[in-house]
Amino acid sequence: MKNTYIPIPMKVDKIVTEDPEKTLRTYDLNFVNKSDLEKFQYLPGQFCEMSLLGMGESPFGIASSPTEEGFLRFTINRTGLVTNEIHNLREGDAVGIRGPLGNWYPVEDFKGENVVIVGGGFAFTTLRSLLVYLLAHRDDYGEITMIYGARNPDLFIYKNELEAWLKRTDMKLHLTIDNAVDGWQHHVGFVPAVTEELAPSAEKAWVVVCGPPIMIKYTLPVIEKLKFPDERIITSLERRMKCGIGKCGRCNIGSQYVCIDGPVFSLAQLKTIPDAL
Amino acid sequence: MIKIEKSNFGTFIQNLSADYSLFAPVGEGQQSAFREVKNAEQINTHIQITQNSPKTVFLPQTEVLFEFSGDDIQSEEKPAKPMFFWGVRSCDAKSLNLLDKVMGQSKQRPDDPAFQDPYWKARFDDAIILTLACNEPASTCFCNWTGGSPFSKDAGDLWAVETETAYLVEPLSEKGEAFVKGLSGYDTASEKDKQSIAKLKKQAESYLQPAVDAETLKEKLPQTWEDPLWDEVSAKCVNCSACAFICPTCYCFDIQDEGKKDKGKRIRTWDCCMFPIFTKEASGHNPRSLARERVRQRVMHKFRYFWEIYGESLCTGCGRCVRVCPVNLDIREVAKQLLEADSAA
Ligand code: SF4
Ligand code: SF4
Ligand code: FES
Repeated sequence: MKNTYIPIPMKVDKIVTEDPEKTLRTYDLNFVNKSDLEKFQYLPGQFCEMSLLGMGESPFGIASSPTEEGFLRFTINRTGLVTNEIHNLREGDAVGIRGPLGNWYPVEDFKGENVVIVGGGFAFTTLRSLLVYLLAHRDDYGEITMIYGARNPDLFIYKNELEAWLKRTDMKLHLTIDNAVDGWQHHVGFVPAVTEELAPSAEKAWVVVCGPPIMIKYTLPVIEKLKFPDERIITSLERRMKCGIGKCGRCNIGSQYVCIDGPVFSLAQLKTIPDAL
Repeated sequence: MIKIEKSNFGTFIQNLSADYSLFAPVGEGQQSAFREVKNAEQINTHIQITQNSPKTVFLPQTEVLFEFSGDDIQSEEKPAKPMFFWGVRSCDAKSLNLLDKVMGQSKQRPDDPAFQDPYWKARFDDAIILTLACNEPASTCFCNWTGGSPFSKDAGDLWAVETETAYLVEPLSEKGEAFVKGLSGYDTASEKDKQSIAKLKKQAESYLQPAVDAETLKEKLPQTWEDPLWDEVSAKCVNCSACAFICPTCYCFDIQDEGKKDKGKRIRTWDCCMFPIFTKEASGHNPRSLARERVRQRVMHKFRYFWEIYGESLCTGCGRCVRVCPVNLDIREVAKQLLEADSAA
């Protein structure tokens, strides 16, 4: 039996720096062994533990979509020891991953329905995965609406893709920044306010909300006002994690383990867990 | 049921230690624990319950997950010989089964080996646990709260009772069955032996205090979420985590790397929900920053959350936490107070 704590060997294929401050970098990783690539079956919303030998591990949502074959993408915010070390990686360097871990956005349930995606800050990673997945299976889904906010234009990730999505006619992308700046042609205001103003319809629709805790806190009431049922309001929780396989207890809230019962939960589920939000 | 005369115990143990890594209670008081033994003289046969539970062998306080050198990773999961545990109390045998639900199995992903702990499985799956009935439960014992009893046969592979002159042993599992079949030269227990078991059992049960019903407690707990009692209890607690480290069913752990990039080890160590840093996120946000939240977490996990997933509580009533707490926090008293609290939801 393969030891689940031993990371899958990967190689850094491509690095993209997302912001002028260089705190956000996107890494495309390739599998060193073809057999590992074949075994790695995942869906949007799942995550991996990225491992640097001698430094430790850190969990990251998978930003690539299973419809993009051959690589895994992660966008990493430099915040601590492990993420700092990841930022020192060069193309061609070795790194390990464990995964795919956790559950996924209910893309099967979304079929034939409209999907509203609301995201803020750099938690946008698994939302990108979701959007790319939905677009790759475009005929399976109804209207696709996305609202994505960042503090300022520099802090959006995947800027090239955003440009392309803005031009598409089979989806609607709304970008917003906190305060107006010269030359900005999209919305201005916090994500909750912009969501309220755009008022996406709850008719035959699901909504996925991901972002910093404060954004989620103020966006959920807006969405509830739009009459989305709790079962159709989906979010992804961030908790400190270690093992990622439901053993170490680190991510426990109530009777749930975020790493294995989540990270994706419906609001209906979260309301039964004390102190989840 | 077979009978091992005490006069033959030495030979029995000697033979066992040839085929197995044999673990048994060793040492007195705070030094007592399950350690590997080679002969009967090393075993402490009169100890009621060891300070450290058998958990320390199956999920050690610190263990190497793997060593790395360059890109090469080496791990060792399997012990050289299967382990045999002599003299495990029924509460501790049960705790191993509870731990196995978390470590060895996965409720959420039952069929995926990636969600089973390979180190735990390599040790536990082949181990033979001999559960030794408690003739004299201690004042801190409360196994009867959560479905246990001193003479319980619910956990373990073999069950044994110590009488004045012998150990009477019977199998509880298939592994135990096979083990007993492999023994030869022992008498079968007599009618008289069985009578003495019944007598010892009755006497042992009389030592225990009346039980609090764990299911009633579990039902009550959600209503106590905001109860001021948590403030009182946590004001006493010094967050030392002794209760969790000594607990046979606490399993939280941390994973850390030692060494450098090109050569080192990935190790795991026990961790504990009572430490403030346990839940602190990289952003600085801490979902359980207050002592009351952490004390509540531990009690809720033992008596409510685990039940919601597995249908029983994660406390075997072994009483260790009661004994080690430096400020005399008694989990039994906390439970009783919670049951009496007339707090609204
Ligand atoms: S909580 Fe206390 S009494 Fe219960 S199993 Fe743990 S150490 Fe034993
Ligand atoms: S708690 Fe019960 S089983 Fe454990 S030592 Fe005490 S009497 Fe024995
Ligand atoms: S991260 Fe270890 S249990 Fe969830």
